[in-house]
Amino acid sequence: MLKRLNESPRLDIFIAIIIAIVSATTAFAAWRASMVSSAAGDAIRQGLIDAVKKQAATSEDWRKLYEEAGHAQTYAVTLAQVEAFENSEDKTAQAQASNMRQYLLPSLQLVADPLTTDEKYFKSDGTYDLDLRFADLEADAPDLAALDPQASFKLSDQYSSEQRWLTVGVVLLAISLFWLALSQLSMKRSRLVTLAIGVGIYLFGLIWFGLVELIFFSMRGGAL
Amino acid sequence: MTETPTPAPEPTERYKTLIVVLTLITTIITAIVATLQADANIRANTANRDSQYYAILVSAEMHRSGLQSTYDLNTMAKVLVEKQTALMMEFTALQSEDKQGTALSNLSALAAQARADILTNFSVFFTDPRYAPKTTDGLPDGEAYLADLSAKANEILEKQNAAADDYHKWSSKADSYVGVLTVIAVAFFLLGLAQALTGRMRLVFAIFGGVILLASSAWAVLILVV
Repeated sequence: MLKRLNESPRLDIFIAIIIAIVSATTAFAAWRASMVSSAAGDAIRQGLIDAVKKQAATSEDWRKLYEEAGHAQTYAVTLAQVEAFENSEDKTAQAQASNMRQYLLPSLQLVADPLTTDEKYFKSDGTYDLDLRFADLEADAPDLAALDPQASFKLSDQYSSEQRWLTVGVVLLAISLFWLALSQLSMKRSRLVTLAIGVGIYLFGLIWFGLVELIFFSMRGGAL
Repeated sequence: MTETPTPAPEPTERYKTLIVVLTLITTIITAIVATLQADANIRANTANRDSQYYAILVSAEMHRSGLQSTYDLNTMAKVLVEKQTALMMEFTALQSEDKQGTALSNLSALAAQARADILTNFSVFFTDPRYAPKTTDGLPDGEAYLADLSAKANEILEKQNAAADDYHKWSSKADSYVGVLTVIAVAFFLLGLAQALTGRMRLVFAIFGGVILLASSAWAVLILVV
C-alpha cells in the first residue's frame, strides 16, 4: 500500500502544491525580514538626524550663553568701576561715574539682556547664574529639546533583534523547502519520511515566524 | 542450496545517497552561515550607528568645551591684566611728582582694582577650590582645569573608538561570511554536477564538493571563533 502511495501521481501533485505554498511563504518571510531590516535602518537614520539636530541646537545655546556671559561680564565690570568711582572722594571720578551710569551702563545692560536685567539670574557675588540661563535657552526650543535619539535607537534595536530571529525563521522555511524537493524527486520508501520532515519543519518555521512577529509586534505597542 | 549474490547497484544509482546526504549537509551549513552573516551584519550596523552617534556627541562636547575654555581663559587673562594695571598705576602714582598726575594714576589704579575684584568672582580659576591658587602668590592649577575640561570629551571619545572598533570587527566578519557562502555555492555546483554524472566521475565530483564544503565549514568556524 505504501509503495502504491509512493508512486501515486496524486502524491506528486500534493507535494507540488506544498512546495508552491512553502515557496510563497519563504518569499513572504524573506520580504518581511527585509522590511524589518529596512525599518531598523530607518530608525537608525532618524536617530542620527535627531542627534545632529539636538546637538546643533545645544551647541547654539552654548554659543549664545557665552556670548551673553561676555556682555554681562563687561556690564558687571563697568558697574564695579562706576561704583568704585562713586565711592571715591575724587570729584573727577564722581563726575565720570555719574556720566557712565547715565549714558554707558544702560547701553551695556541692554546688550547683556536678560542676564543683567532679570533678577533670577543674579548671584550674590555679583556674577550671573549661567546654568539657569542655559536651562532657559534650552527650554526656549521645546521641540528640539524633546528630540530623543535614544528612543529611535531603541526602536532600531528592536527591529534588528526581530530581523535576527526572522532570519532564523526564513532559514527553517528554506530547509523545509529542501526536504520537500527531496521528497518530490525521490521514488523510494523514504519519500513519505522526507515529506513528513519537510512539512514538520515548515510548520515549525511558520509557528516560529508567527511567534517572533507577535512578540515584537506587542513590544512595539502594535506598530509593524 | 546456493545463495544468490546481491546484485551490485545500477551505475546510475551508485553514490546517489552519498550525494544527497552531502547536499543536505551543505544546505544546513549554508543556512547556519547565512544566519551568522545576518547576525554579524546587524551587529555591524548597530556598532556603526553607535560610532556615528558618539562622533556627533564628541564634536558637540568639544565645541562646548572650546567655548567654555575661551570664556574662562579670557576672564583669567583679564583678572591678571587688571591686577597688574592696578599695581602699575599705584607705582606710577607714587613716582609721580605733580599732584594731577598722582590723582590720575590713583584713579586708574582704583578703576583697575575694582575691575580686577569683580572679574575674580567671574573666574573659575580663582573661585573654584579645584583650580584656585593654594597660596596668595600662587598660580591657578591650569593642568587640573584642562584635565577636567576634556574629561567628558575623552570619555565619549573612548566609547566612540570602541564602537568603531566593534563596527570594523563585525563588518569584517560579515564580509568573510559572504566569502564562505560564495565558496559553499561552488560546493553546491560540484555536488549538482556529481548528481548529473555517473560512475567514477560522480564520485570524483562528490569528493571535490565534500572537500570544498569541509574547507568552507572550517573557515566559517574560524571566523566565528576569532
